[in-house]
Amino acid sequence: MRRILIIDDEDDIREVAALSLEATAGWEILTANSGAKGIEVAVAQQPDAILMDVMMPEVDGPTTFRHMQQNPAIANIPVLLLTAKVQGVDQRRFAGLGVAAVLFKPFDPLTLADQISEVLGWSKNDHSNQPSSEPTD
Amino acid sequence: MTENQPEHQTNNLSEDPGKEIDSLLADLWQRHLPTLRERLDLLERTATEAATGTLEESTRAEGQSIAHKLSGNLGMFSHNKAGDLASQIEHILKTPTPETLLLLAGLTRTLREALTNHL
Repeated sequence: MRRILIIDDEDDIREVAALSLEATAGWEILTANSGAKGIEVAVAQQPDAILMDVMMPEVDGPTTFRHMQQNPAIANIPVLLLTAKVQGVDQRRFAGLGVAAVLFKPFDPLTLADQISEVLGWSKNDHSNQPSSEPTD
Repeated sequence: MTENQPEHQTNNLSEDPGKEIDSLLADLWQRHLPTLRERLDLLERTATEAATGTLEESTRAEGQSIAHKLSGNLGMFSHNKAGDLASQIEHILKTPTPETLLLLAGLTRTLREALTNHL
């Protein structure tokens, strides 16, 4: 089963994203309301991917991502930035950070898991809490 | 709860995720109404200051941040027009000019009108 860490200072975004990914994909969800707490959770829980807001007080998403990249314990975990619609120059700036993807709010709660799976190349089998049935030869 | 513990951790694949999500959205809208009202009030104060040439940098930055959050959140609750209006307000506050700042009062008024029946 996939394990996703959601980092966002907005309670409602965290709750909707968490329920969305639990209910539609059966993923295990971890949450944190700041970049600093998110790093602590990521180090301790080693999620398969991190979904992180861009605009947060104190330490924003891009800065938190750079801190993550400097920490060998979590540097390889794919990070998807989540942001309200921004201008092209900001989109290019976020994409240039080296994140796995930039997703936009408002997101559709029913398709958020599909978006994440597509970006990360996860199979449909990663979308449920059922064991994989792929043949092994 | 210690610092290193996640604040939330579950795994529940729903039989009807659409219904469950709609129910959560309705609940969240009611829970966050006071915050939404405060945010609309702040944007209106920002617009008033902008119109009178007294907009402080701290107010502009806070207004931009609030408008950014609203532009991302309101659409999630199916208030797409309101989300677009918030996005326009954010854009003006990010790169303000004397001309565009004068548009804020109308935009904030239209934003509140778009949400009036839901506040």
